Amino acid sequence: MTDIPSEIQTEIQAQHTPARKPSGFIQRYREFLLISRDPVLFMSLLFSGIFLFIFVFFPLARAISGGFFNPEGLFDLTYFGRYIDSYYGPVMRQIFWSTIQMGILSSVLGTLLGFVFAFAMVRCGIPGARWVHLIAMVPTVSPPFAIALSTILLFGRNGLITRRLLGLDYNVYGMHGLVFVQVITFFTVAYLILRAMLERLNPSMEEAAESLGAGRLRVFRTVILPLLIPGLAGSMLLLFVESLADLGNPMFIAGNLTVLSTQIFLAVIGEFDYQKASALSLVLLIPTLVVFLLQRYYVNRRSYISVTGKPSGKAVVEKSGLIRWTCIIITYITCILIILLYATVVVSSFTTAWGVNFSLTLRWWTDALTRGIEAVLDTTFLSALATPLAALTGMVIAFLIVRKKFSGKGLLDFGSNLGGAVPGTILGIGFILAFNKGQTAMSSILYAVLALFFIFYASPIRRQQVLILILGTSVGLAIHFLTPEIELDPLLYVFSGIYLGIALFSLIRRKKTGAIMFAGIGVYLALYNLVVFVADPIAKASRQLEIGFWNNAVFQLSDYVKVPFQLPPVLLGIALLFISALVVNSENSRWRLPIGILALGLPCALFFQGMPLALTSTPYIILAAYIVRSLPASVRAGAASLQQIDPSIEEASQILGADAQYTFRKVTIPLILPALLAGLIFSFTRHMTSLSAIIFLVTARWRIVTASIMSDFEQVGLMGASAYSTIIIVLVLIAIGIMNLIIRRMLRGRGDVDLSMGA
Amino acid sequence: MYLTLEQISKTFPARGGSGEVKAVIDADLQIEQGELVTLLGPSGCGKTTTLRMLAGFEFPTTGKIRLDGKIINDLPPNKRDMSMVFQSYAIFPHLNIFENVAYGLNVQHLSRSEITRRVGKVMELVELSGYEKRAPNQLSGGQQQRVALARALVMEPKVLLMDEPLSNLDAKLRESMRTEIRSIQRRLGITSVYVTHDQIEAMTLSDRIVVMNGGLIEQVGTPVEIYRFPRTRFVAGFIGRANFIEARVVNGQPANLVVKVYDQTIFLSKVKSSYPEGARMTLIARPEMIRINQESNLKGTVRRASYLGNFVDYDIDVAGQLITAVDNDPRQASIYTEGTTVGIELLADCIHILPA
Repeated sequence: MTDIPSEIQTEIQAQHTPARKPSGFIQRYREFLLISRDPVLFMSLLFSGIFLFIFVFFPLARAISGGFFNPEGLFDLTYFGRYIDSYYGPVMRQIFWSTIQMGILSSVLGTLLGFVFAFAMVRCGIPGARWVHLIAMVPTVSPPFAIALSTILLFGRNGLITRRLLGLDYNVYGMHGLVFVQVITFFTVAYLILRAMLERLNPSMEEAAESLGAGRLRVFRTVILPLLIPGLAGSMLLLFVESLADLGNPMFIAGNLTVLSTQIFLAVIGEFDYQKASALSLVLLIPTLVVFLLQRYYVNRRSYISVTGKPSGKAVVEKSGLIRWTCIIITYITCILIILLYATVVVSSFTTAWGVNFSLTLRWWTDALTRGIEAVLDTTFLSALATPLAALTGMVIAFLIVRKKFSGKGLLDFGSNLGGAVPGTILGIGFILAFNKGQTAMSSILYAVLALFFIFYASPIRRQQVLILILGTSVGLAIHFLTPEIELDPLLYVFSGIYLGIALFSLIRRKKTGAIMFAGIGVYLALYNLVVFVADPIAKASRQLEIGFWNNAVFQLSDYVKVPFQLPPVLLGIALLFISALVVNSENSRWRLPIGILALGLPCALFFQGMPLALTSTPYIILAAYIVRSLPASVRAGAASLQQIDPSIEEASQILGADAQYTFRKVTIPLILPALLAGLIFSFTRHMTSLSAIIFLVTARWRIVTASIMSDFEQVGLMGASAYSTIIIVLVLIAIGIMNLIIRRMLRGRGDVDLSMGA
Repeated sequence: MYLTLEQISKTFPARGGSGEVKAVIDADLQIEQGELVTLLGPSGCGKTTTLRMLAGFEFPTTGKIRLDGKIINDLPPNKRDMSMVFQSYAIFPHLNIFENVAYGLNVQHLSRSEITRRVGKVMELVELSGYEKRAPNQLSGGQQQRVALARALVMEPKVLLMDEPLSNLDAKLRESMRTEIRSIQRRLGITSVYVTHDQIEAMTLSDRIVVMNGGLIEQVGTPVEIYRFPRTRFVAGFIGRANFIEARVVNGQPANLVVKVYDQTIFLSKVKSSYPEGARMTLIARPEMIRINQESNLKGTVRRASYLGNFVDYDIDVAGQLITAVDNDPRQASIYTEGTTVGIELLADCIHILPA
C-alpha cells in the first residue's frame, strides 16, 4: 500500500491531466480551491492562521523590532551598540557569557542526570520504579521557582542544612546555586526523552556486538552511545533553551550574578525601558533560534530510533553491577533530594520564620487565603478557562497538520511551536508592545481577510459577493465615522436589536437555523451589557460578607462572570463573521443581499471601534498568553494521537457512507479523547506554573500568583512564597487527580483500548 | 459489463520531489455483475492502488470508472455504494460488535428495528450470532475478520472490495475463511473485487483472475486459462511453477506441430496457428507435465530430489538446463536419488506455447 495520503474531498471534477507536473503556482491555486470547497476545513485553517498571526507572529515581530526604535520612533541601535561600547561593553558581554555558561552547565548536567535516571529505570531494574517516575515528574507540576525557594531554605545563609546542621556560613547564591536548581527543575525533560529512546533501543544490536567479541564498555561506546546521540543532543538543546528562558530561578538565587532574563525583567519593571528590553530580547533570542535550527535540521535528521514506534519488549538488565548500582544510587539520592526540597516548601509555609523561629503557625496561610486569594482565584480561573481553548486550538491545528496537505502547512507547524519555544519574557514584551495601543492597521488587515472569507461563503453569486462587500463595509465604516463618540455599550445594544430583528425576520420566513443563529448572536451581544445585572448583585453580596476568604472569593466571581461575555470588539467581530458567513449562505438568494450587508457591516464597525486590539490590562491578553505558551504541547499531543489511528479506520468509516464531519465526530474524536484529556492536564499545569510570559501582563485587577510572589516578595517573604507555591502545587495535583479519574472512567467501557489495533 | 475500468492510470509524484511513480498504467477491465474477480500480483504491482481507485480513496490520473453504466470518478468514497474489507480489518475499537456492524446503517439513519433485523441476519451469515455485545479486543483474528466482512455485507453494496483480508491470519484459518468468503459471496451474488498476492487464494476464490505486474495488467482470465494458457512469461512464472523450454520449429503445420527440443523431436497437438519453419519458440511445461519415463530417449541427471509425501519434487539437469519435475504417482515407491540418470517425457498435449 502506498503511503501517500488520500484527500477527503466533497465534490471534485475529474482531472484528465497529463502526467507532466503542474507548475507550483497553479498547484497551489488548485489546492486552495480544493480546501475552500470544504467550509469547515477552510474555517479551521483561517481560524488557526489568524490566531497564530495575531498572537504569535505579530507580537514577536514587535518584540524583535522594538529594540531598533527609540521612544520617538526613530531607528536607533543604542542598546546593540552597548555590547561593543567601552563603558557598557564589559558588563553587557559578561551578562551574555554568564547566560550562555549557565545554559551550557545546566543542559549538560541536566542531560547527564536525566540519562542516569533513564538508564536506571530502563536498564537497571531499579526497585520502586513507579515511585521514582512519579517523583521525577514532580518538578514539572510546580511553580518555576519552587526549587530555588527550598534550596535557599535548606542551603542558604540560614539554611536548615548548612547553618543548623552543619554550622557553615554557606553562600548558595550565584552560578553554582543557580545551576543546581536548574538541573533539578529541568532534568525531567531529558529523563523522559532518553527513557523513551532507551526503551526503543533494540537489545539484539548489543547482543550482536557482544557475540562478535566486544566487551561491555566497547558496546556502550560503539553501539549504545551513537544511537542515543540524537536523544542526548536533543535533550541538551532543549534544556539549554529552558535554562536561558528561566526567569524565576535566577531572580531568587542568582545573587550577584545577572543573566539575560533577569536583565530583561529589570529593564521593564525597573527601568520602564521597552527599547532596551526588546534589544536584549533579541540577543536572548539568537541562541534560542540557533538551537531550534540545530534541533530541526541536524538532530532530527540523524535519528535512527523511531520514537513513535513500539518499545522493544525485552527487559534488558545491565550486567555490570558497578554501573547498575552507581545509577541506582544516584537516582535514589536525587529522589530523596527532590522529596526533601518539596517537603521543605510545604513545611516552611507553616513556620513563623524559617531558620530563626520554627514554631508552627497558620499565619502565612490565612494571609494567602484572604489577601492573596484574589491572585489564587484569578490564576485558577484564567488557567482553567484557557485550558479547553488551548486544547481546541491545538486539536484543530494538529488535525490540519497531520491529515491535510496544503502549502503553508510548514508555517502553521512552525508558528504553533514558536509560541512555546521562545523565552516567555520575549513573548510578554511582544504582547505589551503589540497590544497596548490601538492597532488600526492590523485591525484593517484582519477585517479585509475575514471580509473576503465572508463574501466567499455567504453567497455563490459573484455579483452579490461584490455588492455585499462594498455596501457592508460602507455600512460599517459609516457607523464608525458618523458616530465616533458612541461608546461600545450602547452600540452593542443597538446591534443586538438589529440581529434579533433579523432573527425574527428569518423566523417568519421559516428559516429555523438562521433564526436561531441570529437570535443567539443578538442575545449574546445584549448580554455584553446585561451580564452586569448578574455581576453587580454578586459584587454587592460580597461586600455584605465579613472580610476574609469568602468576601474576596465572591467578589472575584462577579468579575469572572463577565469574562465570557465581554470580549474585546475585534475578537467579537471575528467571531461574528465566522458564524454569520455560514448562516447567510443558507438564506434565499433574494434576502441574502440585505442580510449579508448587515451581517458584514455590523461586525465591520466593531473592527474599528475604540482602540482595536488594545488588549493589555484585560484578562484576554493573559488568556492569549496562556494559550500560546501551551499550544505546542496541545498540538503535539493531538498530532501524536492522530498519527496512532490507523488511517484505514477512517477510510472504513468513509466507505460505510460517512462524510468527513461524521467520521471526525464518531470515530476520530472518541479515539483521540484519552490523549486529548491528558493534554488538557498538561495545559492546565503549564498555565498554572507560567511565569515569564505573563509577568508583564498582570494588573491590579487581574493577578497571577507566580507574578505576585515575585512582586510581593518583600512583604510575604520566603514563608509566604512557600505558602503560595504549595497552593499552586495542590491545585495542580487536584486537577491531575480529577482528570485521571475521568479518563479511567471513560476507558473502562473499552477495556484496554489499543489505539494501534488494526494497524 | 457491470463495473468497468477504462484506460485507468495512476501516477504519484516520487518521494523526494523529482520524477514520478507510475503505479497503474492503462488498465482496462470489465467485471460482470455477480462475479468475483481477483487482482493478483507481487508487491508493488498496482493491485491495491487499483482497488483504492475503485473505492474512491485515490483519484485516477486518467481514465474512467463506470458502475452500472454511470461514471463514478467524481464520487467520494461515501457515495459510491461500495463496501470494503480492509487488510487490517479496521474495526472501530471504541464500539462493540453490534455498533461496528451497524455503523453504516446508522449513517443512513435507518430505524432501530430495521438495523437490528439486518445486523442479526448478517451476523448469522458469518456465524457470529451472540457476539453483538462483545468488544473488538475480545475477539480472535478470525472473528474480527468476520466482523469486518459482516460490516461490509450488511450494507448490501453494489460492489464488495476486499484488500488482502486473509493475510493476517494463520494458514489453517486462511483456508477455512477463504472457502467461507467464497460461499457467502456466491450465495448473495455480490460483485466482488479481491486483492491478494497469494495465488492459491486467487485460484480458489475467483471467477476470473487479473494478473498484474509493475502497474500493467498482464492477463485476465479464469483460473484454468491463467494456469494452462499463460500469455506472458511473467504470468507463467507467477502462477504455479513453470519450465521454459526453447524449441525450434521443424514442421510448422497447426494441429500437428513438430519441434525440436534438446535434440529430441516432439509432436505438439492442439495448436491453433501455424509457424514458419526454423522459427524459435518458448514452450511452457509445468512440473506435473514432465514424466519420468526410463524408456524415453531424452535423458537427464537428477540434481535434487525432495520427498514431500504426496509427491516427489525433482530438479533434473537436461542438456544443461535445470528442469523441475513432479512425480505424484502414489504407486511410485522409490525416489530417484541425486546423480541418477533418468529419462523424461514431456506430455505433448499439455505443453503450452508462449505467445511472442
